[in-house]
Amino acid sequence: MTAGLDCDGDVADGVERRLDPRQVSYQQRVGWIVAAFVSGLSFIAAFGFWASMGFSLVGLAAAGGVWLAFSGLLAWRAHAWPAIAYGHTSYKVDAQGLEIRRGVFWRTITSIPRSRVQHTDVSQGPLERTHELGTLVVYTAGTDHARVNLSGLAHARALRIREHLLPKGEADAI
Amino acid sequence: MPSEERLHPVSILFSFGRSLKAFALPGLVGLVIAVRQPGPNVDAWMMLFLIPAAAIAVVRYLSFRLRYEGEELVIRSGVIFRNERHIPYARIQNLDAVQNVFHRLLRVIEVRIQTGAGAEPEATISVLPAAALDEMRRRVFAREATPQPVPRVEERVLLQMSPGELLLHGFLVNRGMVVIGALYGILWQVGISDRMFGPLAGNAVAENGRVRDLIEAVLRGGGVSAGQIAIAVGAVAVFLIVVRIVSMGWAVVRLYGFRLTQVAEDLRIEYGLFTRFTATVPLRRVQAVTVSEGPLYRLFERVSVRVETAGGRTGQDGTANAREWLAPLLRRDRLEPLIAEVMRAQKTRSAWTPVHPGAFRRLVKRRLLLAVLVTAVTAFAIGWRGLLVGVVAIPWSVLAARRYASHLGWTASGSVVAFTSGWLWRSTTFARMSRIQAVTLRESPFDRRAGMARVRVDTAGAHERSHRIDIPYLERDTAADLQLRLAAQAADTQFHW
Repeated sequence: MTAGLDCDGDVADGVERRLDPRQVSYQQRVGWIVAAFVSGLSFIAAFGFWASMGFSLVGLAAAGGVWLAFSGLLAWRAHAWPAIAYGHTSYKVDAQGLEIRRGVFWRTITSIPRSRVQHTDVSQGPLERTHELGTLVVYTAGTDHARVNLSGLAHARALRIREHLLPKGEADAI
Repeated sequence: MPSEERLHPVSILFSFGRSLKAFALPGLVGLVIAVRQPGPNVDAWMMLFLIPAAAIAVVRYLSFRLRYEGEELVIRSGVIFRNERHIPYARIQNLDAVQNVFHRLLRVIEVRIQTGAGAEPEATISVLPAAALDEMRRRVFAREATPQPVPRVEERVLLQMSPGELLLHGFLVNRGMVVIGALYGILWQVGISDRMFGPLAGNAVAENGRVRDLIEAVLRGGGVSAGQIAIAVGAVAVFLIVVRIVSMGWAVVRLYGFRLTQVAEDLRIEYGLFTRFTATVPLRRVQAVTVSEGPLYRLFERVSVRVETAGGRTGQDGTANAREWLAPLLRRDRLEPLIAEVMRAQKTRSAWTPVHPGAFRRLVKRRLLLAVLVTAVTAFAIGWRGLLVGVVAIPWSVLAARRYASHLGWTASGSVVAFTSGWLWRSTTFARMSRIQAVTLRESPFDRRAGMARVRVDTAGAHERSHRIDIPYLERDTAADLQLRLAAQAADTQFHW
């Protein structure tokens, strides 16, 4: 696997590429926000449980223990997971189309022929903007893959891939 | 100059009729209440609904215009909120037509236009003169942009079902329960079910009859008399036979005069005794074809064939559902020519390639686990007798896994990819390479341990529950190879809607 980065020249080089490395820190930040939110909510629930136990010591131990373990898991998910997922995600663009590999435990390789691309979007959220990342969205006429997302591309690169995937007139459906 | 067309004047009646139908149930409830406790004048209240409904029907008729432009169909409607819908001919997937008894009496037709977008028909045109459908078909599916008189093309009958075949279809497909369920629902709503089933319920049907006695006797571990068993078995047998007979009647009424014809590049499907359905599916818009057969089908050497198009994904009102029936029942020996015709391929079936030999081991593990769990739960619930379940379930799961694994097969040759699965109930799906939208290779952790993967082919217009080309238990390298090949072949062909 070549961990090639953003480069000039043709995007349709047929080389299997990793996502932009900034994806890791971006996903970490998203993870921390989600973790803080969920952890906060579960804190209220845990506190409620403790209150329902009459603020007993056993209640504190049980609620606090579960909450700490859960929050710890969330923190690990936010901190360590993005790098693991990053290592298992890659994509390839060539003259034929787009191929996306992802999944740590359940792995999938999705091939979308270029001639089947109906239209494409490149979207960029506020957090993605701070990392100069973009999400490429490819639409096909299919059922499971009517919409395929590829997030974590450098925004400029996403735009260039989109340019490449766009139907070039010859695909003008009847 | 493109001509503008209106609906048939009786549209007003049908439109009004639909409002009446929607109003029927609340109206009925209102009447019942009014009879029981005289109070507010119900007639006046009903007028309050009916007069606007009639007015809307008239306005709808007056405002509706249909125009054939060079490249598109233009439908204008509405008075206050004007709506002009442009539907390019090239985007129309299929034209369906419905003719119920009243439509037929008045020689009119309701047309539904399906495009690839969404579940709803793009436009429902109710109603046009019956001859207008031919006109529309000609204009919409004509290759030439400019409408011109097309020479009358030969109509080729691919399948015509005799009443005997329809009866057999009803028998095999066994939709009787649906009909009986619907009837029971109506009876229950009207409130006469108690009177009808009351005397019966004491005997065999409902919860306080002998069926319950029997089940209770079994569960308690007490003795069951031979007479009780005979009556129970007899009742079940009679019920099953009645269900099948109802289903046969249903099939004849629904599919009476089923004809599948090919006119130039279109498939036409017509059927129905009271309500006639006509569907037009251009051959090039066939996305996938699924052949299915149950154990009884094999006994009679029949199969049933469905077709998937990208238009109209609903199955709610039954029309879209049945439109997919390419052949409700087909002799097995006529299957291959039909598939070849519809798939436009010389050869559709080379030998099936089996899946990885390790498939059985993985299947049987899962099924044994389930069988053991069920046995354990049953034994826990009703005592040692529950272990009897295991005596049946465990050998059965081994047998079923063995047979299932040996019936998995796929083939990808020429321009068609196909996948077959199932032991007692078998399904086979064919798709043309030029209709493949995306190809996915999946590996679960179990797959990776066994060096296997599954390949799934995505086509347009597939239903949630329909049989798909989703080949499990492939050897990892075979799967990767297949994915590459399918993606490459798909990329080579241009997808036309």
